[in-house]
Amino acid sequence: MAVPIQQKSTGARALQAWFNPLKRSAGFLAFVLMRVTGIGLVIYLLLHMVVIGNLLRGPEGWDALVATMKSPAVLVLDVILIAGILIHMLNGIRVTIIGLGFGTSSHKGIFWTLMAVAALLLAYSGWLVFTK
Amino acid sequence: MRTASIEEKRRSGVWVWQAITGVLLVILLSLHMIVHHFVVEGGLRTYQQVLDYVGNPLVVAVEILFLVTVTYHAMLGVRAILFDLNLSESQKALVTRVLTVLGVVVVAWGVFLALALFRAANA
Repeated sequence: MAVPIQQKSTGARALQAWFNPLKRSAGFLAFVLMRVTGIGLVIYLLLHMVVIGNLLRGPEGWDALVATMKSPAVLVLDVILIAGILIHMLNGIRVTIIGLGFGTSSHKGIFWTLMAVAALLLAYSGWLVFTK
Repeated sequence: MRTASIEEKRRSGVWVWQAITGVLLVILLSLHMIVHHFVVEGGLRTYQQVLDYVGNPLVVAVEILFLVTVTYHAMLGVRAILFDLNLSESQKALVTRVLTVLGVVVVAWGVFLALALFRAANA
């Protein structure tokens, strides 16, 4: 009986550790960002598949939905989505590069550089979302 | 020299697929965001604009490739996160089965939708 209890507490601790403010290393921050954005994007993927099902309702159903999607509140959600995509995508590139054995000694620098690129791309994307 | 265990080989294989689909997604998701949102006036296609776009069989093929890639990448990612919670072997097997079914349902729904729109565009 002791093993399953220990396994459960280990699993719970692993999850709690994601939000531990004392763990502030770049590697740990990258790990948590990758997982949190990944979970958010999976939820978005499932919602997106349900929402685009409205295309089967024809122009009346879809075009009315598109009109509501242009409200400022939804546009803010769009920017949050783009932030999640950029962080996950650029962090994923870092993980792949490191996993292939390149840049392991400078992984912190790579992380912060890619996050700076993400911030710049997010600023440009946000401008496009609210002006186009 | 130490040889890799079956579990290590399995994890390595999963990592390679996660990386391959991830690299493909950098291209396919960027393409998706640009053609569906950034170059479209207002950021979203109207119904007629969607039909005009998906009427091309090459576009449908690329969209289905994108759907399969993103779904596979997503399910592998969720699986990795859940496996890190120190699950038992039977729990891991259950997670894999549930995520496989969910992935197949998502892809089947997306393919059905893409083909329905392709038919409507070419009717």
